Parts: sequence; structure tokens; C-alpha cells
Amino acid sequence: MEENTFDPELIRAIFRLVWEKRGAEREKNQHSENEAEAGPSTTKRSRLTTVNMNALKVSCELLRVLVAEAIQRAAAIAEAEGSLKIEATHLERILPQLLLDF
Amino acid sequence: MASDVERGEEEEEESASEELRDRFRLCTISIAETEAKRNGMEISQPIMACVSDLAFKYAKQLAKDLELFAQHAGRKSVNMEDVILSAHRNDHLSASLRSFSNDLKAKEPQSDRKRKKVTKKEDKAAKEVLHIADS
Repeated sequence: MEENTFDPELIRAIFRLVWEKRGAEREKNQHSENEAEAGPSTTKRSRLTTVNMNALKVSCELLRVLVAEAIQRAAAIAEAEGSLKIEATHLERILPQLLLDF
Repeated sequence: MASDVERGEEEEEESASEELRDRFRLCTISIAETEAKRNGMEISQPIMACVSDLAFKYAKQLAKDLELFAQHAGRKSVNMEDVILSAHRNDHLSASLRSFSNDLKAKEPQSDRKRKKVTKKEDKAAKEVLHIADS
């Protein structure tokens, strides 16, 4: 592949961090409801969300396109102004539409 | 005592998140600088950090969306369709992701029918290329 992209395992780690946190929140809410609970770790693991490799690769592609679009759009503004460097003012202007598109 | 355990867990989460954010930033820098060079531009360092943090936050948001989609479909495992669905706001984007995912599917060792389809396409493409090269 000519393009460099995000490392799938890095993205998996980020996803897991979010899912573990959300799992823990759910556990906490459940605990306050039922007093006697066997062990939080076992129930968390059985309910934790996972992701397959292909989905990870598509997610990497999605994030790569996000970064590439942000830079491309900001670069277009910078070029139109005759600047050689992408600065805050260029990024600012493309941010609203970027966030609407993604 | 319970609150101490919680605080300890929170600190662990923070440092894990920080480490991931740093690794993520390195990847982002590589992608962004390639893209900027392609447009004949340089990126200022603070903007680099901004774009990276934006993408990192987006990745965390994406994790939440994907989990919700999978759960909504009655699954525990996120698949490609969930990711494509998360890009529903922009048609170009979802079309691009769909063709990316089709390429991934085609590369897999699949049922004979799918393999035949791929080879037919490849044969056609190869013939076309040869034709152009000859003329």
C-alpha cells in the first residue's frame, strides 16, 4: 500500500478503552440495583464489545480520511490566501463543514 | 475506601488514555505531513496537535457509536457494516468506505462463487490494460 494509515491494533486499544469504561459504568449502575453480585470482572468480560479485523481496517481508513480531508481542505484555504503554511485560521474555517461531514 | 479504589482506577485510565493519545499523535503526524506535502504545504506544530486531538476524540466517539450500532443489531462484535453506517452523514464517504470494505472482502479466501467473480473482473481489467498498451 502506498498510503500510510493508522495502526489497527492502536485503534483496537482505543476502542477497548472506551468500551471498558462504558462497561464499568453499566456495572456500577447494576451494582446499586442488586446487592449480591458474584464478581464484577467476570460479568464485564462476558458483556464486553469486540471488533473484527476488517472492521478495524475500515475504521483506520475512516480516521485516515478524516485527517487527510482536514489537511486537504485547510491547505486549499491556505493556498487561496497565498500562504505556504497551514495555520489556525485555515483550520478554523474548514472545521464546521468537516464536522458535519464526518 | 471505595472512593480511593475509584480514584486509583480513574488515574490508571488517564495514563492509559494519555499513552494511546501519544501513539495516536505519531500516526496522525505521519499521515498529515504526507498529505500536506502532496499539496505543497507545511503544517504548523500547534495545528498538528489540534488535528491529532480532534481525530483522537473522533475515534473515541466512533467507539461509542459502533458499540451502540452492534448492540442495536443484537451483536457483541462490531463488523464492517457498523463502521460504514457510522459514516452515513456523507454519501461520498460512505461510498468510499463501502468500496474499501468490498476490496477487503474480495481479498479474503471466500466461497468459490465470489472467487470466480473477482477473477472475471481481474481478467477483464488485465485484457483492457493489454489492449491500451498495444495501441
